[in-house]
Amino acid sequence: MKLKALLAMAAVLLAAFLATGCGGEKAKETANNQTNGEKLKVGFVYIGPVNDAGWTQAHDEARQYLMAQLPYVDASDYVENVPENPTDAERVITQLVEQGNKIIFTTSFGYMDPTIKVAKKYPDVTFLHCSGYQTAPNVGAYFGRMYQVRYLSGLVAGKATKSNLIGYVAAMPIPEVIRGINAFTLGVQKVNPEAKVKVVWTNTWVDPAIEKDAAKALLDEGADVIAQHQDSASPQQAAEEAGKLGIGYNSDMGKIAPKATMTSPVWNWGPYYVDTVKAIKEGTWKSTPTAGSLTYWGGIKEGIVGLAPYRPMVPEDVKQLVEKEQQRIVSGEWDVFNGPIKDQSGAIKVTAGQSLSDDEKLNMNWFVQGVIGSPK
Amino acid sequence: MIKLPGTNLLIEKKLSPDPAAFFVVPVISILLALLVGAFSLALSGRDYQQIYATMFSGAFGSTYGLSETIVKTIPLTITSLGIALAFRMQLWNIGGEGQIYMGAFAATWAALFFPVGTGWWTMPCMILLGMLAGGLWALLTAIPRAIWGVNEIITTLMMNYVAIFWVNYLVYGPWKDPQGYNFPLTATFPPEAILPTLGVSRIHFGLFLGLLLTVLMYAVVQHTRWGYEIKVTGESVSAARYAGINSKRNILLVMFFSGAICGLTGMTEVSGIAYRLQPGLSTGYGFTAIIIAWLARLNPFAIVLVSFLFGGLQVGGYIVQTSGIPSSMVTMLQGLLLFFVLGGELLTYYKISKAPASSGQDT
Amino acid sequence: MNQPNLVELNNITKKFPGVTANDQVNFSVRPGEIHVLLGENGSGKSTLMSVLCGLYSPDAGDIIIRGTKMQFRSPRQAINAGIGMVHQHFKLIESFSVAENVILGDQSIPQVLKMHQIKNYLTKLSQRFGLQINPSAMVWQLSVGEKQRVEIVKMLYRGSQVLILDEPTAVLTPQETGELFRTLREMTATGRGIVVITHKMHEVMEIADRVTVLRRGRSVATLEKQQINQQDLAWLMVGQDILRQEKKKIPPGDKHVLELKNVHCLNDQGLPGLTDISFTVHSGEIFGIAGIAGSGQRELAEVIARLRPVSSGDVLINNQAITGCSPRQAIDHGVAMVPEDRLGTGLVPNMDAMDNLILKSYRNKSLRRGPFLNRTLTREKVNQLVSRFEIRLNAPDAPVKLLSGGNLQRLLLAREITSDPQLLIAVYPVRGLDIKATEAVHNLLLEQRSKGLAVLLISEDLEEIFKLSDRVGVLCDGRITGIRPADATGVEEIGLLMMDAQNQGETTI
Repeated sequence: MKLKALLAMAAVLLAAFLATGCGGEKAKETANNQTNGEKLKVGFVYIGPVNDAGWTQAHDEARQYLMAQLPYVDASDYVENVPENPTDAERVITQLVEQGNKIIFTTSFGYMDPTIKVAKKYPDVTFLHCSGYQTAPNVGAYFGRMYQVRYLSGLVAGKATKSNLIGYVAAMPIPEVIRGINAFTLGVQKVNPEAKVKVVWTNTWVDPAIEKDAAKALLDEGADVIAQHQDSASPQQAAEEAGKLGIGYNSDMGKIAPKATMTSPVWNWGPYYVDTVKAIKEGTWKSTPTAGSLTYWGGIKEGIVGLAPYRPMVPEDVKQLVEKEQQRIVSGEWDVFNGPIKDQSGAIKVTAGQSLSDDEKLNMNWFVQGVIGSPK
Repeated sequence: MIKLPGTNLLIEKKLSPDPAAFFVVPVISILLALLVGAFSLALSGRDYQQIYATMFSGAFGSTYGLSETIVKTIPLTITSLGIALAFRMQLWNIGGEGQIYMGAFAATWAALFFPVGTGWWTMPCMILLGMLAGGLWALLTAIPRAIWGVNEIITTLMMNYVAIFWVNYLVYGPWKDPQGYNFPLTATFPPEAILPTLGVSRIHFGLFLGLLLTVLMYAVVQHTRWGYEIKVTGESVSAARYAGINSKRNILLVMFFSGAICGLTGMTEVSGIAYRLQPGLSTGYGFTAIIIAWLARLNPFAIVLVSFLFGGLQVGGYIVQTSGIPSSMVTMLQGLLLFFVLGGELLTYYKISKAPASSGQDT
Repeated sequence: MNQPNLVELNNITKKFPGVTANDQVNFSVRPGEIHVLLGENGSGKSTLMSVLCGLYSPDAGDIIIRGTKMQFRSPRQAINAGIGMVHQHFKLIESFSVAENVILGDQSIPQVLKMHQIKNYLTKLSQRFGLQINPSAMVWQLSVGEKQRVEIVKMLYRGSQVLILDEPTAVLTPQETGELFRTLREMTATGRGIVVITHKMHEVMEIADRVTVLRRGRSVATLEKQQINQQDLAWLMVGQDILRQEKKKIPPGDKHVLELKNVHCLNDQGLPGLTDISFTVHSGEIFGIAGIAGSGQRELAEVIARLRPVSSGDVLINNQAITGCSPRQAIDHGVAMVPEDRLGTGLVPNMDAMDNLILKSYRNKSLRRGPFLNRTLTREKVNQLVSRFEIRLNAPDAPVKLLSGGNLQRLLLAREITSDPQLLIAVYPVRGLDIKATEAVHNLLLEQRSKGLAVLLISEDLEEIFKLSDRVGVLCDGRITGIRPADATGVEEIGLLMMDAQNQGETTI
């Protein structure tokens, strides 16, 4: 019995499998028709799922915007949930190249090495890496001046806090995050010099449970506004559950925690993607760094970053103040890290009349006065 | 013996499984998993045939796919060999992940911070120190196990976190690349510290190390006196004691080598793939290796095969995403495959037969 | 005899993968009789009784209880029909009290327990049949004999009319066995039927009203009391006459192979396991250790094999102290041992015969080839042993756990004897073996004795001790209560010595 029965079973299963398989032919044809070989193929590599309501979703919305704006672009190839380890990322990027993509956006810091490595093998493909610091003739590094918006959201938070303690749930102690915390704190202290910003590191970009625990800990310590550099909205939910306020990040988190989230600094990559793809197609694009190590570092002015709509709890005068400060930044007269700025020890880090260079901003590894916590 | 209700079929346990079942059962399990996967893909209106074809050809069908599957096979094979060595003695080394990180840490030290710089000695030192670090890390759990009988499952598991945090501390702190804009990365390795690769592919020298280790492991476990001792101790501790085998010594030795082999994975990953130390170096190889070692029944050659299939599964998974399959669905497919293959394992020990007619009438 | 039979099993057939455990077996139990079911290990006794008590359903055949045909789908149905079985391995929960164990699974008792009433009832029930138990005692505190009594009371409490006892005397002292038999008699006086499964001939002679002999799954004969004689039964059981080999009367040598001097050690609970043990075993001598189970036999064997530390005193082999040696050094000094736990300690269950046969010799120079094991040479040696000791292997590479008890013991003895030992410690060497295998093991031990080997025989069977030993030492509560030459003593005296500490606390001789 045994062996024969097993073989028979296998045969039946195989037959069933093949039989049901025939129905699938049509779907395949239509799928093939959609990918038109004449179009310029643009591929995307994502760290999270496309519907994360955060970092990855912002990039994916830009991808769809790109397709809608430029009819000659086919940006249907994307790979989500690609871990930031060297083995997988390099392979995924190579695959996208092999599938005919001529421009590839790699949208997380951990893809920097793999992007550079693959780019060496494929000089005729253009790569754009988000948030890193390395460039090559065919690799551009791009990012947005989120710190400008962080500063504006800090104004909102500073006006809102009553306990004068603001919690900040932060992912990893890297310059991008530290810069955001500093800018936020400068905003807070601009309107409320008494207020402090307390930082808790989670060591993860996205883990709703850990993020929520961190937010709860901060709330327990008396924080009444929760800001975050995390990809999930759970810190905002924690604030809402505690009846406190919050500042979201990445996307309009007020949709998820409407009673808490006053506003959120958000990304808007679409226009930049359209401009860049156009420039590459026309041959005018260059990877040469323009801001520090970055090929491109746009801010509020370029529309790559901004504040999500305010929720009703934000008073009119605060909105006007933010508007005023935003004008200062857009006009270029002032850019957040202008002196005098003191560090945590009270020592002057930037003297009056001076400002930090882009390189210094990108390298930032110290906290300004008013931050409670360690930048490590 | 269980009678299937409403039929005259009996499920019986076999004393020793049919050798053929070792191959047939997994194959059927895979087919079943694909079938269930196909139904759910079809339900969500997708063309599963094309998806399966893409997945398969992506992992095994092209030179590039195949080479990438092999790249993935290398760390899985080496780690599984290390884990299997400990498992053979019923030492449950769940700490492969941590030992990988410690191996990577020591290899990085030899590559970047060696007192006398780099040279011809760099590569041998990286291998030796990587293995030594992994081995010593495992030894830390073996000592309390040998002396006081402290459960190694818990200690090895906990040591994973210590090792991962240690590496994180280094890359966020003292070992951070000064030119790296304060990102958590060490500097890139000098050329002497980078393993040679096969042609333009990413297949590195680790493949050779892995295969060498496979043969070595087979010879040691099957044909040496020490291998015999490990086998006896693993099967029955009291028999080992009775036969005069020094279990304590063997616990220390086996755990050391188990950790050392996992440490080698860390070394080959930094030196063959990443070219620097960074967080997230291993995607849970230390844990996947447990499943692989188990499925391969601790047989070194079977480990290579199973690792290759696991590698293919992971490589193929990313490829189908570009055909519009969300990664959650890919994860589901991978989960189905694992579920059926592991479930099918159980069946290897059972057979289904017809009940005799008489007792069929009785009930 | 006019009453209907309590139980009638007609043409019972039960098959397992590869074997027919019962082949058209007929069996009956009359009211008021003790029916002994006799057979070698693996002859199908336990299977037949498991069919009767609802554990297995037969592939063919009828079960008729008091004239009604029944089909048991579960043990509960059998219990309800008045069939109760006391298994060899007791089914008791150690951390429960006796009363709690007895009422376990009884669905007729109300949700709110009246433990007081239950305990009174149990006390009455046990007194009626001379079964001394304390319903409030915790099971883990009980001796093996007491546990067995609890099992019997449990069955009586459930109203069993037919009581099946599977090898009930295997775990009992001679005194306890006597008590049990008296209890069984009293139960038959109330019209109950008793089935006793055994392979001990003298028990059959003592208690049986009828005997059914099973061989290889078939019933070969059912005899009335007056028809029974030992020779016939033995012939029916094994299908051949047992060769009674007389002990060769070569006197033992005078070389002190093993000597224990005032040895003390602790048991697993950290309590004194052995107290002040001193004795000597000479070359060419079989020294029997008698005693109730748990009197320190295991500790004694382990101390000599260096598997257990000595707290004071000395163990000497050929006048050389091995007290501080490792187990491996003890082996090198020529200490061989057939442990109590054959499959698990003496043999590795999942390894094949070859790997098991080299368990102690694998480090010998002769089996080496560099760091490797010389597999060709090993295989040759193994083949020699297998043929010399008549070990029947189904397949050379099958795990030994699939072998029968007799073959396992032959395998174990083959390995230990061929290691050219000075001393062989044999712990319960024939426990669970059938007559033929027992005979083979005994012959091997006697043969080694005549070759000058010193043998320390630890056994629970006085018959065996007297048959083989030159001298008998009696262990009681971790002490030696007496050493007697086997020719100059009898079962009576040894039995008394075995109970020594419990009675008078007499001093050591």
